[in-house]
Amino acid sequence: MIELASNVLNFTFPDVHPEAELQINFQRTLRIPDDDHDYPLPPGLGTFPIQHVDDHAANVPSSWLQHGGVMLPMFQSEAMWLDFDSSWIEQNDVAYPFAIKVAAGKQCAISGEPWNEGVTGKPQNYMVAPEQPWLDGFVVEKGCIRQFVAMPLGAGYSAEEQITGAAQHGGLQVAVYPMKRNVFERRFPKVKRMKNTQSHDVCYSMPECCSAPDMGLAPGGRMKQEIYSDPYDVDDWDIEAGGRCFVHLCNSMTWQSLTGEVPPHPAPTAKVYSSSGLPWFDYYDDPMTAVGGSPILAKLKSVAQLSAEKKDAALPENESVTPGNLVLCRKGLKQGQVREGAI
Amino acid sequence: MKGFGDYLRKVREQRRSEDATFSVRQLASRVGVEPSYLSKVERGQQPPPSEKTIAALARELDQDPDVLLAMAGKVSGDLQAIIRNRPKLFADLIRQLKDTPDHAVLRLVREVRDGEW
Repeated sequence: MIELASNVLNFTFPDVHPEAELQINFQRTLRIPDDDHDYPLPPGLGTFPIQHVDDHAANVPSSWLQHGGVMLPMFQSEAMWLDFDSSWIEQNDVAYPFAIKVAAGKQCAISGEPWNEGVTGKPQNYMVAPEQPWLDGFVVEKGCIRQFVAMPLGAGYSAEEQITGAAQHGGLQVAVYPMKRNVFERRFPKVKRMKNTQSHDVCYSMPECCSAPDMGLAPGGRMKQEIYSDPYDVDDWDIEAGGRCFVHLCNSMTWQSLTGEVPPHPAPTAKVYSSSGLPWFDYYDDPMTAVGGSPILAKLKSVAQLSAEKKDAALPENESVTPGNLVLCRKGLKQGQVREGAI
Repeated sequence: MKGFGDYLRKVREQRRSEDATFSVRQLASRVGVEPSYLSKVERGQQPPPSEKTIAALARELDQDPDVLLAMAGKVSGDLQAIIRNRPKLFADLIRQLKDTPDHAVLRLVREVRDGEW
């Protein structure tokens, strides 16, 4: 079951485990410069507001109602990352494992393959929570992603348009599969004593197109980020119990006319952020191995590259930046290290 | 409603035993009605006051406004508007839930709908 509360998508699986819950929120962030340097992780600057498409049925495109799901506003050239938070199961002293798929315009952001139901191991087309705390973009190389940057659907920049040649879907698609209950109990037997657990709580924004509100995600700047290989088996995931959601990306310019609410301001530029001495983040999870990049996604042209080819001005304020204040987050080491920036 | 006046007096006198500013006269003055009127309401000699006055009484006496309104035989204006906006939907919903235990009603959640894509 999927609920929406306080701008968080809550995936629960009462038929699998009463306490198994995965929360996904979509973080506003600064757009890292699209200059072929590899940047560390930018901060989370707060969640995007999410609404049910059904609540604005009179105003949204009919395709959105057909898809169901939710919507959130993004400005052209605004960036985002996804935050994953898996619930802690006290009796087994572990966070419940989930397989998570993320696609942009129904092209998988991990493997570059078209959306399908279920998970595949080779190439791995999903991430595993809690090991994977977040996803910032398209996996173009092992240990490197290109940041999710919103562009109007139809302008030719989105990954979907580059891969398929068509601007059909837009938005983001998410699916979550819990670990099978019997597998979970076998891998993580109940513990007798109750440890005082410390949960590793890390949280961690062109040419104006037509008036259709659909945005797609395009590949932006390069960032160091590993997508961890599944430490379990591909058969451990309960595909039948999975839940999926279509997250429509609505151009912020039309958000107010659709919902009556003002969208959040776009994020500051990387330059402004960095020169204020605010932190960037580096994350290590030593024992985990990373998946290789997708050859399909590796061929994608970044927004800056395409913009230069088209002679558009899609990316204003794209100056390179040297992040000065780098906060290291090593899994398990420190509690309270949050991937947050305050503006 | 008969119980409204009794309940109001009971709650007010309880407060007055701790705080002298909850006499009929002083409470009436604060919510903007005549003391004689408030006294009559308490004794069931006048029907319950307007939604606005009941809301003010609820604030003063630290009561839930919806509960006090219900005792007065009323439903708040905003709830009425919600129901009137989709009368069949909410009428059906409320009738279906009328005997459902509290915890089951509160568990009603709004799911994100998945469609065709």
